[in-house]
Amino acid sequence: MKAAFWRLVRRLLRGPRVSRALGSLGIDARRYWLLIDLFGTISERREMFSQLGTDGLSLQFAAWLYAIFSALMSLLLIMVGKSVVVYFWAFLAFTAFLMLTILFSETSNSLVNPVEGLVLAHQPINGATYTAAKLTHLLRILLYLVPGLNIVPALAGLIFTDSRWFYPLVHMLAAFVVGLLVALLCCAVFGWLVRFVPPNRLKAIGQVAETLPWLGYLVLQFSRELRQHIHAPAWLLADTTLRRTLAVGFGVLSVAIVVLGLRCLSADYLVRVASIVHGGSGRKSKVRRSRLSDLVARFFGGPASRAGFEYTSRLMIRDWQFRRQMIPMIPVALVPAALLATGWRISPFSGKFTGMHVMPHIFGILLFLICTVLVYGSDHKAAWLFLLAPAGAYGRFAKGVYARLWFVFAIVPHVALILVLPWLWGIRDAGLFVAYSLAAVSFYLGLELRLVDGLPFSKQAEPTRSPVSQLLMFAGGIVIAIAVGVQFFLVFRSPVVVVAVTLALAASAYLVTRRGLETFEVAIRFNLGLLSMETKGIYTEVQ
Amino acid sequence: MVEFERVTFSYDVAEVLHEISFVLNQGEIVGLLGPNGAGKSTTIKIIAGILAPRAGAVRVAGMPLPERAVDVKQRIGYVPESAVLFESLTGQEFLELSGRLHGVGEDTLQMRIASILETFNLASDRVSRLDSYSKGMRQKILIAAALLHNPDLILLDEPLSGLDVNAAIMIKDLIAALASDGKTILYSSHVLDVVEKVCDRVLIIHEGKLIADGTSDSLKASTRQDTLEDVFRMLTHTDAVEPGVARIVAALRTQRP
Repeated sequence: MKAAFWRLVRRLLRGPRVSRALGSLGIDARRYWLLIDLFGTISERREMFSQLGTDGLSLQFAAWLYAIFSALMSLLLIMVGKSVVVYFWAFLAFTAFLMLTILFSETSNSLVNPVEGLVLAHQPINGATYTAAKLTHLLRILLYLVPGLNIVPALAGLIFTDSRWFYPLVHMLAAFVVGLLVALLCCAVFGWLVRFVPPNRLKAIGQVAETLPWLGYLVLQFSRELRQHIHAPAWLLADTTLRRTLAVGFGVLSVAIVVLGLRCLSADYLVRVASIVHGGSGRKSKVRRSRLSDLVARFFGGPASRAGFEYTSRLMIRDWQFRRQMIPMIPVALVPAALLATGWRISPFSGKFTGMHVMPHIFGILLFLICTVLVYGSDHKAAWLFLLAPAGAYGRFAKGVYARLWFVFAIVPHVALILVLPWLWGIRDAGLFVAYSLAAVSFYLGLELRLVDGLPFSKQAEPTRSPVSQLLMFAGGIVIAIAVGVQFFLVFRSPVVVVAVTLALAASAYLVTRRGLETFEVAIRFNLGLLSMETKGIYTEVQ
Repeated sequence: MVEFERVTFSYDVAEVLHEISFVLNQGEIVGLLGPNGAGKSTTIKIIAGILAPRAGAVRVAGMPLPERAVDVKQRIGYVPESAVLFESLTGQEFLELSGRLHGVGEDTLQMRIASILETFNLASDRVSRLDSYSKGMRQKILIAAALLHNPDLILLDEPLSGLDVNAAIMIKDLIAALASDGKTILYSSHVLDVVEKVCDRVLIIHEGKLIADGTSDSLKASTRQDTLEDVFRMLTHTDAVEPGVARIVAALRTQRP
């Protein structure tokens, strides 16, 4: 029955009427459906995750998680007891923001990193057909995530006394419209970028564009003054006609921007694909020998540890896939700066709770996020190189990777703090806090090294990982909240206790790091073992 | 068949091709030679409609590029330098996709796929996924995909890469047979003796400029060299390789603390 239904839908969609409608938009219907089938097949066979978009299984998983999350959120809003109108707009805004961040990222990934476009670039497919097929494939995200986010809140909305029986229908319809508008907006933005940004710079500019929703959110979150100044001028509020005219004008302008953006995208996309994929390859960097890596080689285990240190340093900056995965983490990365800005005047020993109490743990969260994505990279096929390394090199290589993370996320910020804080808190308070924080961050890093699931930058990105990481983060957030509470009420009450806890943390960090490095080395060996057994492709690269 | 007129192309600021002009006539096999990074693959990609030139004009069968790229792509077969494939597809599925995108009728397509795979000894592997294929097998699939729609112009970028001796001999014979059937072939390779044997005419690109265009014999005569390899080394200034070899060996023998 179900199969017959889908066969009927398929026949209707691929029939002459839809073909004519597609043709009127400049889309070649036959090739469009061939591409849709192709993208569907290679996604379900879990190929090109990092280029093509998410497969059905991962989307289902994410949709269930969002359903749980939105159920909790709607429970909270119902308990607060606001009206159904506030409830409706709150979920619509939440859906818009979440879809904006997800679809911006997915659209960028799909259009700016189009490796599959290289395979198809010499095929007789016009830009409109290719773009339409790709965007249709991306729209599956909407079909999974919008219901996941809204179906429970839509039904729960009936609990409000001022809601009507048709509320769930209105809620779902509005959510889909918002999702679709956001999707079109994302595509239009990338259409403009593809049209006007030189192909070799598109990847970098695309990543800057991806950060914009997050940066906008942060600015609104942290700038109370800005929020207070955002209000409509009195002359605008007084004149209804002017307001309507402006609204219509703004609407027309928005539609024009979106339509023209989509037209830009479909014009000559496939001619630009090769240049986009090889973008930035002409850039030259200096040949230099770092004194820091000399030190790492000296104290962490010779050339192999230097290799790990340099490899991680370079790829953390240059690997497109890693940089892309770090974009949603920008808020977390900016939180230490924000905490410093809010709590830098008051010593943590003053008895008042300030942002500085949370700072070491924020670094812990940041390292957690980095450790969970460090294994994924754009050039994962180049991992064959490590199959040729002598067995003894992996442990020292792991130490080099650790040294890089420890240096960037523990040493550098704490050196900066120790230069500034003594002027504000006095040498004793600043010294104790920095020592404590350094020990805590080192402990976190030692613990979280276990999350690096193999050789850094050696796997293709996995969409299923993201919801799992979110669950882990949720659990970790609870643990950290408890740790901050204990630290505030029990530790930062006496310098002696701080010294004792710092020493205990430092000793634990040492032990945990040793064990963590062993686990990391085993993960590297295991990962490489799998590569050598399973991936014929890797040997093809060697050949 | 192909007119390349004062074509300039650059990635970012680096100019890859500088005002290159040449013509490919119907039924001709033309070899495209040049050192690494000379611009051979870029030239082929421009003719294939994958890259747009920064300046100059390109026409294939009278159709301007990139304006009529889709029509041009319908008439060309292209074997790229690197075997980028959808690895989760089987050989059969990949060829079907390629043929259908070119609008080949289903019966004709299946007949051609069966015939080509049989000839390439891939019939038993047709339902295996491409990620299990060796490099040579992938290369055969790429060549098959380029020929399925019976194109007028065939662009071959290192087509013998990874092929065994028998397959390489067969491809060389196939190229000659296709040319005698009226097809135009642009053949880029580093294997100079193959180019010398197979091609009617040779183009040599060096540092983005066309430095030679003529038959193998005319180039040898004009430069007073015995082989195409000697001509190539002379024109691209790669005749003095011995000092470089000695330098590498010396560097390998050196040990510093």
